[in-house]
Amino acid sequence: MHYGHPLEFGTFITPRSDSPESVVALARRSEELGYDLVTFQDHPYQPAHLDTWTLLSWVAGQTERIRIAANVHNIQLRDPTVLARSAASLDLLSGGRLSLGLGAGAYQMAVAAMGGRGLRAGQAVEALEEAIDIIRGILDTADSAPLSFHGTYYRVSRVQRGPVPAHDIPIWIGARQPRMLRLIGRKADGWLPSLPFLQPGDLTAGNAIIDEAAREAGRDPREIRRLVNIAGRFAPERGGFLEGPSVQWVEELLPLVVEHGVGTFILMSDDERTIEQFAREVAPALREAAERELAGAFLARPIRRASVRARRREGIDYDAIPESLDGAVIEPGDPSYARMRSTYFRGGSPGLVIQPGTTAEVATAVAFARAHRHVPLSIRSGGHGIRGRSTNDGGIVINLSRLRAIEVLDRATRRVRIEPGARWMDVAAALSPYGWALTSGDYGGVGVGGLATAGGIGFLGRKHGLTIDHLRAVEMVLADGAVVRASDDENPDLFWAVRGAGAGFGIVTSFEFEVPEVSNVGWAQLLFDASDIAGFLERWGAIVEASPRELTSFLITSPRRGQPTIAFVLAMVASDNPETIVRCLQPLVNIAPLYDQSAIIAPYATVMANAQSGDYYGRGEPITRSGLIEHITPEFAADAERLLRSGLIYFFQIRAVGGAVSDVPPDATAYANRSANFSVLALGAHRARLDAAWDQIQYHFNGLYLAFETDPRPERLAEAFPPPTLERLRRLKARYDPENLFRDSFDLNPEDASRPAPVETGS
Amino acid sequence: MTDYGHDLCFGAFITPRAQPPHHAVELSLVAEQVGLDLVTFQDHPYQPAFLDTWTLLSYVASRTRSIRLAGNVLNLPLRQPAVLARAVASLDRLSGGRIELGIGAGAFWDAIEAMGGRRLSAGQAVVALEEAITIIRELWDTSQRGGVRVNGTYYQVSGAKRGPAPAHNVEIWIGAYKPRMLQLTGRLGDGWLPSLSYLPGGTAALEEMNRIIDEAAVAAGRSPSAVRRMLNINGQFSSVSQSFLVGPPEKWAEDLADVTLRYGISTFILAADDPYSLELFAREVAPATREIVAAERAKA
Repeated sequence: MHYGHPLEFGTFITPRSDSPESVVALARRSEELGYDLVTFQDHPYQPAHLDTWTLLSWVAGQTERIRIAANVHNIQLRDPTVLARSAASLDLLSGGRLSLGLGAGAYQMAVAAMGGRGLRAGQAVEALEEAIDIIRGILDTADSAPLSFHGTYYRVSRVQRGPVPAHDIPIWIGARQPRMLRLIGRKADGWLPSLPFLQPGDLTAGNAIIDEAAREAGRDPREIRRLVNIAGRFAPERGGFLEGPSVQWVEELLPLVVEHGVGTFILMSDDERTIEQFAREVAPALREAAERELAGAFLARPIRRASVRARRREGIDYDAIPESLDGAVIEPGDPSYARMRSTYFRGGSPGLVIQPGTTAEVATAVAFARAHRHVPLSIRSGGHGIRGRSTNDGGIVINLSRLRAIEVLDRATRRVRIEPGARWMDVAAALSPYGWALTSGDYGGVGVGGLATAGGIGFLGRKHGLTIDHLRAVEMVLADGAVVRASDDENPDLFWAVRGAGAGFGIVTSFEFEVPEVSNVGWAQLLFDASDIAGFLERWGAIVEASPRELTSFLITSPRRGQPTIAFVLAMVASDNPETIVRCLQPLVNIAPLYDQSAIIAPYATVMANAQSGDYYGRGEPITRSGLIEHITPEFAADAERLLRSGLIYFFQIRAVGGAVSDVPPDATAYANRSANFSVLALGAHRARLDAAWDQIQYHFNGLYLAFETDPRPERLAEAFPPPTLERLRRLKARYDPENLFRDSFDLNPEDASRPAPVETGS
Repeated sequence: MTDYGHDLCFGAFITPRAQPPHHAVELSLVAEQVGLDLVTFQDHPYQPAFLDTWTLLSYVASRTRSIRLAGNVLNLPLRQPAVLARAVASLDRLSGGRIELGIGAGAFWDAIEAMGGRRLSAGQAVVALEEAITIIRELWDTSQRGGVRVNGTYYQVSGAKRGPAPAHNVEIWIGAYKPRMLQLTGRLGDGWLPSLSYLPGGTAALEEMNRIIDEAAVAAGRSPSAVRRMLNINGQFSSVSQSFLVGPPEKWAEDLADVTLRYGISTFILAADDPYSLELFAREVAPATREIVAAERAKA
């Protein structure tokens, strides 16, 4: 009987309270010696021991690689709800190194003396099962509904799940009795008995009970790792079981692997020489012998719990995920799925999230996606995109957040290399010490990849142009998996396309920018009474257009019926000269009565440091319309006022462009609508109503910025890319992505007959 | 004017945010590096946006060398007192005597009950806290023989073995506002740990609360100075002096020295989640406050 688990080895160190240093030293020594795991028994009534949870947390801080677990916790003195949150916490702090060893709790009297329940054996098993359900429930952060559990021994009512642990924390149970073994079969991830307490035949019988209970519960017995605590003594001469030379140990342990499927041996010893000898002589030889005996029988990766597999989506071949992506994939049953599934603006339910850590892994992920062209493919850098295209329903998300390096390539030419998963506030902070800044957007939490392949309308735009105007080269992974460089000299067509339509051509894994020197900037936040909406918009627009390029201003209003209209004007002046700043800001201050104002001189990085690092839990679909416009004409202002007063829009923003943005010829990049002075964005709650209202004022606009537009109708693509640009993009698309793999952000070939029909995905 | 004459101590109150996971750890390392005496975390086990406070304290203690640590304050209703006693003693032994026990009777009873905890009235919770403190101190006291027996209304211990003993005399700091809790603090506490933002009417409320603690201490045969007076504070550093703890570091020092000299508060714990504030507090506010207080105490 074998379960395919690759062999692992651990130590079991007495948590002596009279000598904490020696306990910690042995834990560190275990790590040095290459053990996979260090464990401690848990007897909270035993003052000769340190508190095990405290010790595990301490050891996590003193080690880097080794995994940690209790062997095993006394659940009667550990409240399961608090234990679950503690487990998630320690898993987070330790970088995913925790396993939970649980026991029903022996020593009834001692437990009762501590103020615990002191349950009888049968009750204790029932209580443990309830505790496991609660722990799993708290840790099942993939489920967003609150947890309620009303058991005989434990009761929780509508509590929030979490924290989200760093990994799917395995639950191992120490047990001998059939009821406990059946519980393991139904619910646990590991069986952890102590060999010295077992009788001959117990392993065979125990495995049989566990396997049968697992199958009855619809599980694969291989989901359950078989661990065993062992004790012995090294001696030069052969003696009794595990009393003799290392070769004897290997001979005696091998049958446990081959015949009983033991995957983890945990050495119960506080003797450093024994721990060393086991690590140096027994573990490697046993591994080798097991490989020899069971050639090819080891699983390449663990079998996920049935409950995790049950949440998989149709159309994705999870078993075919390349091994090189192990540790980089999150599926719907994984705890961190809740943190990954949605974006800031859009709720998502992807079937698989891949988080590559290298360009090669991006290429592997793309290859996997290519084999799954029938499901959506989204690319995510920061997950803040207004269009919400960086997640999907039932498809694959390639999440680039681990690719976040920022490095200076050449100080003299101000050449920097930035990876797509970096966020603009991090970029700003990294460039600030050099006196450099790269215009981005208005929010520091936005990721580099999406914005730097779309355009980048930011606070330094009129002075320094779009973000893409500073791009000098990219490294990208194409649909066929090729890794190519594109610049004015290499693949210049591709480089042209990437600057404005990059999401249709591949995944940029590295951007090279030549960034401008930017001193401290003037930064004003002005809050106006904008009751005269049309007049306000018009005056603001006129002043911005007439201002020197140093000034870039964004206007935001969130109209609410029955409330006075307030407008928020943000203005950056690309100068650290107070006189220049005042000269630029003064005209703005006078356009309407001011409610509040602030103005500072600060590094660009300070202004960009406006985002929390965190996860996004958007719901539904973002509903936006947008347009680029030459001037805020009285006619447009009047139409905008009507629209704003209609109640259809809850967020309305106008960003100044023009200036340096317009210096670049329209055919120089795929972003071609360069004559506009303003970019307008509206967020609404109803798709059809917003579209109906916006369509009526559409005639004011001359193109749009695709990153702001969510209207799915095909005309929008033509507005984003004027005819010569769109024709060239389609020609290049045929060359670089003939199978139209990258179509989910925007589809350059909507009528492409070769495109596979979408399949219905299970829910 | 009540100054209990305690040495001044400056600490940090850092949000135990679960994301990013090392947020509180990194700020704690900063707190130690800039020379603060103490780092503390609130404890709300029902709040999944936070890390478990005991786990975090243990991990941070493991990653630091000199700074003292405490919960601010631990939630007794969701922490089994006998297990907590051994956990505190264990961490104190592991950390070389750097742990103090900040504890409260519990406040958010709906959330506590939802977690499976027992709902108590305010009065019951005070009694429960007193029982828990008795159990904890007894379990720490290995100078006595025999098991610990406390047959309380809310907590019972029947013959539990004593120990392990903490590495140092762990102080018990109590978060208290209402008279019965203040009296308990005067009777049993080594420290009183309220938060400025919960004081009705700001620091002026300290006078009456001190009086209740002092009277209870005296009634229990203790000196009022046996209870260290601490305060969680929040404020804002800015270039212009505006109001209490809003202004430059010198303004903060004047404000805090005044609170020390007037109300005897000797431990100030700043709620801050940015390294810059912690550094200003440690490197500028703390020495300036100490200087003013030393000068005034010398005059007295």
